[in-house]
Amino acid sequence: MIGVIALLAAVPFAPCTTSAQPSEDAVKAAFLPKFAHYVAWPAAAVPAGDAPFVLCIMGPDPFGRLIDAAAASESIDGRPLAVRRLGASDNGAGCQMAYLSGGERQVAQEIAALGRQPTLTVTDARAGNAHGIIHFVLSGGRVRFLIDDATAAERGIAINSRLLALAISVKQRP
Amino acid sequence: MKRVTRLVGRFRNAPVIGTAVLVGLLVLIGMGAIVQSEASFRSQKQQEAQVQAAILAASVVAALDFGDAATAQEAADAMRANGQMRGVGIYDRHGLRVAGFRRDAGDSPRNVQESRRLTASSESIVGEAPVMRGGERIGLVRLSVDAQPFETRVGTYLLVGLLVIMAALVVTVLGVAQGALRRANRALGERAAALVLSNAALKVQIDEREKAEEQLRQAQKMQALGLLTGGIAHDFNNLLTVIQGSADMLCRPDLKPERRLRYAEAIVQAGERAAALTRQLLAFARRQPLRPETIDVNAMVAGMIDLFDRTLGERIAIRTELSDDACVVEADRAQLASALLNIAVNARDAMPDGGTLTISTGSGRTSSDNDDMDQPMIALSVADTGAGMDAATLARAMEPFFTTKGTGKGTGLGLSQVYGFATQSGGDLRIASIPGKGTTVTLLLPSSDKPLVAEEQFQPISGSARRTGSVLLVEDNDAVGEFAESLLSELGHRVVRARSGEEALERVHGGKFDVVLTDVVMPVMSGIELAEQLATERPELRVVLTTGFSEEIALSGAGGRPVILKPYRLETLATVLDEALA
Repeated sequence: MIGVIALLAAVPFAPCTTSAQPSEDAVKAAFLPKFAHYVAWPAAAVPAGDAPFVLCIMGPDPFGRLIDAAAASESIDGRPLAVRRLGASDNGAGCQMAYLSGGERQVAQEIAALGRQPTLTVTDARAGNAHGIIHFVLSGGRVRFLIDDATAAERGIAINSRLLALAISVKQRP
Repeated sequence: MKRVTRLVGRFRNAPVIGTAVLVGLLVLIGMGAIVQSEASFRSQKQQEAQVQAAILAASVVAALDFGDAATAQEAADAMRANGQMRGVGIYDRHGLRVAGFRRDAGDSPRNVQESRRLTASSESIVGEAPVMRGGERIGLVRLSVDAQPFETRVGTYLLVGLLVIMAALVVTVLGVAQGALRRANRALGERAAALVLSNAALKVQIDEREKAEEQLRQAQKMQALGLLTGGIAHDFNNLLTVIQGSADMLCRPDLKPERRLRYAEAIVQAGERAAALTRQLLAFARRQPLRPETIDVNAMVAGMIDLFDRTLGERIAIRTELSDDACVVEADRAQLASALLNIAVNARDAMPDGGTLTISTGSGRTSSDNDDMDQPMIALSVADTGAGMDAATLARAMEPFFTTKGTGKGTGLGLSQVYGFATQSGGDLRIASIPGKGTTVTLLLPSSDKPLVAEEQFQPISGSARRTGSVLLVEDNDAVGEFAESLLSELGHRVVRARSGEEALERVHGGKFDVVLTDVVMPVMSGIELAEQLATERPELRVVLTTGFSEEIALSGAGGRPVILKPYRLETLATVLDEALA
């Protein structure tokens, strides 16, 4: 019993446990790399060879080292996950995933910039109403998300039903 | 056969042993099935739990990954639908409980270790599956399932056991039935063999019985023959009595001519009746019905008075009370006469010390109350003043072979024959008797209105023959031969007698004859053979046949030759010879 408690103490980021309540950003940072496990990109968008999956952060980075750590701990189909912070002019080419931050307008611009690229866009309710494919919201003090499967379908992205099951709501593909 | 029996004996218990083995086998199979079922039950349940855990683990991958306890809980709660699910626990990669439920009231274990301790102490079946994401173990799902309650399983096993018992029972019954059938078959076989034996014995018995019956029939035939002979002798004795009595009277020297003639007539009549009796006997032997003729009973009785006189003796007075009306009946004359004589002789025997015999006739209708015949009848009554009969004797008087006379004196057939004659003629026989006063026997016969046929009257023969010649008489019987010789001589013929066919042939060769009168039935050479022989040697020689046994003629044929039937009358003999000499 004592061992168990010791073990618990040694795991600060155990999600959703009553014993530890990590910060909103930490949770989101932990979530972001995991999404990659439940998403299938069109073959053309999958990085060639052993090239890493790329998680881009467009706009100001709210996570800092948290996201780097989370990404480092994940590997997607045996490939590493790289975090790339993009400049304002970058159109996000080569990003399999993109966390869009900033104000509502900025996020909308970022979405527009990505255009019809097969990029899994993740937006945050903190930044306003501009929705990417995955949209973080806070619900009951917990980090949850909405999924726009219709847009994902337009972009050629398939989202695993297991992930869809976790979403608060899903905009169904046509 | 013995070997087969021994072999059968050796395997006599085979059905019983076979049945026992089968039943044992069935029980073993049943027990094996239960044990096997019990063993496989747990492993199957275990597998099921494992599969369910795996399914749950797969469905909570994302929820665990994203720490979504609510979603994981939803997935866990979905398992509640399984009534046998005791509890479900979903643990993260660190073994801490994320979601789950426990059906009983106890606290849910907080981590895998607690859960393991909990399930270890219960006999529930545990399924455990890791939650894997991309080859990485991100958590654990544990669930425990109620083993099916033992009682339920016992119920199942009981059902199996019941089925086994029933099967065993069926097998036992079949075995026992088979055994019984074999035994029955064996018994049947033995019985069949016994039956064959008894059948053979029965056949022997039947053969013996048939032989015995044949012997009995023969004996009865002989007895009947004896009785018949006795009866005939009785009737013949009556007639002989008349003939002898009449002949004795004729021998008296100082007899008036008219009395002499009456006695001669009586002899002739008795002779005729005797001839009729033998005809009747022959007809009886050939089973030919006798021809009835119309008879005036009054005339017949009147004609028989003398006969009665001589037959009954001097101590019995005979009275007649004949009806003035014509009493015509239709019956066989000889039988009626015989019946009347029979009754009269019975009456005589009933009056050993003498008495009166009254013969009366009358006509009228029957007053019979036991049959419905209602026609004019003729009553012919014979009343005596004899001893009479008591009721018991009277009741049996008409029974065949019943007689009150001593041995050798009567056959017991007389009245029964009379009764038979009466009923055959459409009439009846009534007997009334008072002991000590006498008996009245009444013969009832249907009255007839047919014209009377004149009875052949006795005609004295004129001694003069029409033609005479040389006659060769062939007769093997000396008495008949001498009588015939005297008759022929009386008729004026020259007579030479031969005693056989051979002697006749010799005589024919040695002398000249006009006619050969030959008996038919003779030893060595019959009259017919003689006639045939003479026809080739001496065709011109006339042959006249004579026989008392007309059947011989019927069998061989007379060949167109005249035949004189014995007993013959002088007149007949004269006429036939006269024609032969013509």
